[in-house]
Amino acid sequence: MDRSIPVWVAAALALVVLMALPLGWIGWVSVSSESGPTLAHYATVFQDPQLQKALWNTVVMAFWVGLASVALGAPMAWLTARTDLPGQTLIRGLIMASFVTPPFLGAFAWVMLAGPNAGLLNKLYRNLSGADDALVNIFTMPGLIFVVAIYTFPYVYIMIANTLALIASDLEEAAAILGAGRLRVAATVTLPMVAPAILSGFILAVLQALALFGSPAILALPAGFHTITTQIWSFFHYPPKVEMAAAFSIPLLLATALLLQVQKRLLGRRGYASIGGKGGRRRAIPLGLWRYPALGGCLALLACAIFLPYGVLAKAALSRAWAQPLTWDNLTLANFTFTFFEYSATQSAVLNTLELGVMTATVGAGLAALLAYVTNRRLIIGHQVLAFLALAPIVIPGVVLAVGLFIAYTRPPLLLYGTLWILFVAYVTKEMPVGYSQADATFKGVHPELEDAGRILGAGRLRVLGEITAPLARSGIIATWCFIFIGVIRELSASIILFTPATKVISVVIFDLKEEGQFGPIAVLGLFMLAMTFGTVVLMQRVLGRDFMGAKE
Amino acid sequence: MAQRWRFPMAVLGVLVLLGGAAPASAQDGHLEAAKKEGKVVWYTSLVLPSAEKVAKLFEAAYPGIKVEVHRTGSQRILQKLMQELQANIKNVDVVHTSDAGHFVLLKEKKLLMHYTPAGVDKFPAGFKDRDGYYYGLRATVNVIAYNTKIVSAVEAPRTWKELLDPKWRGKLVTAHPGYSGVIATHVLALVNHYGWDYFKQLAQNRAMIVQSAADPSAVVASGERSVAVNGGDYSAYQLKKKGSPIEIVYPKDGVPLVVSPTAITAFAPHPNAAKLFTDFTFTKDVQQVMADSEGLYTGHPEVKYPADKPKLDELKLLQVDPEELEKRNEEIKKRFVEFFGA
Amino acid sequence: MPGVIVKELTKRYGEVAAVEGLSLEVKPRELVALLGPSGCGKTTTLRVVAGFLRPEAGEIWVGDRCLSSPSAVVPPERRRMAMIFQSYALWPHMTVAQNVAYGLRFKQEVSRAERERRVREILKVVHLEGFESRYPGELSGGQQQRVAVARSLVVEPEILLLDEPLSNLDANLREEMRFEIRRLHEAFGITTLYVTHDQAEAMVISDRIAVLYRGRLVQIGTAHQLFEQPRTRFVADFIGKTNLIDGVAAAPDRVARGGLSLRVASASLKPGAAVTVSIRPHEIALAPASSPRTPGEGVNVLRGTVQRTSYLGDAIDYQVQVDGSDVVLRVAGPPPAAVRAGQEVTLTLPAAACVPLTDSD
Repeated sequence: MDRSIPVWVAAALALVVLMALPLGWIGWVSVSSESGPTLAHYATVFQDPQLQKALWNTVVMAFWVGLASVALGAPMAWLTARTDLPGQTLIRGLIMASFVTPPFLGAFAWVMLAGPNAGLLNKLYRNLSGADDALVNIFTMPGLIFVVAIYTFPYVYIMIANTLALIASDLEEAAAILGAGRLRVAATVTLPMVAPAILSGFILAVLQALALFGSPAILALPAGFHTITTQIWSFFHYPPKVEMAAAFSIPLLLATALLLQVQKRLLGRRGYASIGGKGGRRRAIPLGLWRYPALGGCLALLACAIFLPYGVLAKAALSRAWAQPLTWDNLTLANFTFTFFEYSATQSAVLNTLELGVMTATVGAGLAALLAYVTNRRLIIGHQVLAFLALAPIVIPGVVLAVGLFIAYTRPPLLLYGTLWILFVAYVTKEMPVGYSQADATFKGVHPELEDAGRILGAGRLRVLGEITAPLARSGIIATWCFIFIGVIRELSASIILFTPATKVISVVIFDLKEEGQFGPIAVLGLFMLAMTFGTVVLMQRVLGRDFMGAKE
Repeated sequence: MAQRWRFPMAVLGVLVLLGGAAPASAQDGHLEAAKKEGKVVWYTSLVLPSAEKVAKLFEAAYPGIKVEVHRTGSQRILQKLMQELQANIKNVDVVHTSDAGHFVLLKEKKLLMHYTPAGVDKFPAGFKDRDGYYYGLRATVNVIAYNTKIVSAVEAPRTWKELLDPKWRGKLVTAHPGYSGVIATHVLALVNHYGWDYFKQLAQNRAMIVQSAADPSAVVASGERSVAVNGGDYSAYQLKKKGSPIEIVYPKDGVPLVVSPTAITAFAPHPNAAKLFTDFTFTKDVQQVMADSEGLYTGHPEVKYPADKPKLDELKLLQVDPEELEKRNEEIKKRFVEFFGA
Repeated sequence: MPGVIVKELTKRYGEVAAVEGLSLEVKPRELVALLGPSGCGKTTTLRVVAGFLRPEAGEIWVGDRCLSSPSAVVPPERRRMAMIFQSYALWPHMTVAQNVAYGLRFKQEVSRAERERRVREILKVVHLEGFESRYPGELSGGQQQRVAVARSLVVEPEILLLDEPLSNLDANLREEMRFEIRRLHEAFGITTLYVTHDQAEAMVISDRIAVLYRGRLVQIGTAHQLFEQPRTRFVADFIGKTNLIDGVAAAPDRVARGGLSLRVASASLKPGAAVTVSIRPHEIALAPASSPRTPGEGVNVLRGTVQRTSYLGDAIDYQVQVDGSDVVLRVAGPPPAAVRAGQEVTLTLPAAACVPLTDSD
């Protein structure tokens, strides 16, 4: 048992550095003043009508994003998992693309698409209809909800599609043979079985929306309203009111923790969704005449999430004035030249991003693999605690994490602010749950008997780890690396508070440029970021030999 | 492709101009030390392409000394500067924002170096700190800008008050005093002139809110909104030069003048390069570049302005006191958010 | 060739004891099956023997070496054992030859050439010549099983452990592999512990069977001993089909239930004690009540009515309601069926086949 002591100490230290310190500081700062402990900050925060409005806006947005994500994700999951819908590979591919698209890029693209006057869609509408009014105004609450939902619904989709994939057709056919019609089968058998998945998908979507910073900053601020995250961020404007930011972070933290608890309950009971899932064949339900309308519906939604935004980004990257038609006169490569060669912030930001991405992914994947191995093989007592710790950061929204890290590391003994290290710590913490889940699934896929077989034939534990476990887990760990890397290069909500001019990353530069209205360079950097993301995704798919959204097997 | 060649040509032009003059005018003692330091870190609110252009000009004139440009809004610059100092990070050499109040604050906190750039003695009083810590690098005036495709010259608002007309509801765009020093100055000038009621009423017209003072004219040029209710005239001027459908109105009831100071920090890690760079930005040639291609005003008496821009003395200027700006900074941001929502 | 001794073994998971006070001896060259339903502790016992688990109490001895005790466990890799797993545990990233050769790499005395020779040889023994460079994923279930066997035998272990090795095979193949494993055991003579939940498998393969129930050893013996003289109700029921009649000892050699009284194969019952009588269906003789060969009143002769007959191909299964009792007996007889449902019959239960069970389990 003695061997486990260093691991314990290391785990405890990691806990302190990654979680307890920042959260502890948030709690402490939120109740301290020069004259001792106080609840004054909370009183101020919750009595200010502006801040109340921000709270309410967040609740409204998150709720509707959750509903919209279910409304979009559930039918698509059913269509692709269960029916003979044509073009399923394409649709899955596009949903995956929307899953990895940084939401703030989507929001930015939609400014160009659906700004009430200059937005290309509104212009088109006016030309076609001769009307004076705009078709849609993206700078509104519904606009914000729409843009957030089209990049959040994949969470619901994945959850439900994977559940549906576990339910054998027999269960549905059993109902059908008893005389239930197709809709009745769906309503009485399929729906109740996926209900926990739908609910927990809803919660997942709400959580995503709650923690989001970029999209509200791009769409809500011009429309004249705040959400919790943008409000927390603006508390940092000079003169900074860190204690207010801390007090305002607490409700967000509590809401997230509560929702996750509910979701865990739901998933804990999910067992029955997969009953009879083994071995059952799945037969595609024929859609008949509805095949092509259904396909059209899916593609229309994905056009909103992928084709239109990517198209308008490409157009903005190549034109002098993004709102003007792409004529020969308007065509230019100057945005690329400016972004990569004249704008001095780009190169260092690209380097910082890559450095942080590689560093975080390597350390994160390594740590996640170690933790997952220890917990899966129960190598030390208290391994459950380690698993809990690895998953715990999921309750901390990026902005809140950043507030905590900012308070914790702008003072001795650990002065990390102003270095890449503080971003590194933020990213490792933020990505640990994703990395751990991936690594955990990987080791769950490596049957422990494969290791036992090596042991009993004469190989020591380390040798087995090197010759048997490592080669078998390799592709899973590489995928973990890729997941973390993708998460890091798009990170905005924590970076926006923790960066200093010398430690900018690409997402922060994009946000800077956005505040200045530099559409061309934003589009160029956005495309660059997408290229890096998709490059990583392709690598990951190669390694895994499957599309990464699916359940294993 | 003309655009592509504009920048190298400008560099070439300045190099020719500087050929004999620049190195001679720079204090030679600085030069060696500055070269050893190798770079200068510049936190600036000068709009990004202009800032990069000044940096490239300097690097061309003094090979071996890099300029690290960190461009963001005036208020963000102060925020990051103070946060860095709190964490004991001493990174920045030269600070340049459009909020003169910042420099009052920084001076009080003893964070500025006492330094008089070469040649500023000829500048008008409004460009000089009486204690000699900061000097106005450039100036701009806040103007109304409108999209000529949507609004005819006859309809266009001529005064600040005309923007309160309900017919502009949903058609206006404003920048944010919580981001931009130009706008903070603008808001204070108009508050002093008309009171807060003016902004309360303006907010009724539901303006779109952007951040940078350069952005309202970009939004207007794209057609997203028809009229910009503030913003530096120089960004609108540049867009107009590029052929965007935008026109500038210098309101008759007065134009808020924004003088954007620059200073060297007391803790500058590259003090010699900072001095060299500051001197460089005040040379007639660089000041002239700002006037020519950027459409800015400057304090340099010999600078010639484009014929299609009004001279400063032809305008009714509304000026604000930097100390008042510093004191009322909080109030300006808070009330603006109260009226406009974010 | 040493044997294995398990002494007073206890293994707990948290509060739950998976194995409690289990003692067992496997003699040199013997094959002992650990038999029991799932959760009885048989796999846990095997894994303690293999060194994967540390016991809370008790010891594992092989020959004169104590391999496991609560204070010290020799790691699996130094136990000179081999194990065949339920999942086969073939390494998917290695070829058949690499899989089989793996254990030989840790034997210093075996040269590279010798290693290759032994791999070729053992693959021949398990009928897999020519499969050396295949990957496990390219083999059928039965072939994978043979690779797993070859991998374990090639290292010439002192002890061979098998954990439900046949449970993943289909019925025909399973039957074939039982004989194969027995053949290999007889050829190599390795001391073997074999875990299974299938009593037929245990009976075919093993020299002796240890029946485990709820973490304890309930009975150990040859298949014949267990079948003929089960000591507990559990063993009687688990090994083969049987009729169980709960009653009370009326005399040292007699058990009564209601109006029913049976003489049993023992003369040492304590009158008044609860006793269960086990009698195998094939031991009961059945005759139509009207038949001339019908025995009259006599010892262990019962009258009853056939409730149902089932044709099983090689036998007929009768369900007979005993007159004047709630007891229903199952009787196995050779086809064709002697009686039909509803007919009266007499049943003869030889006293020697009526095994009294006094343990409560």
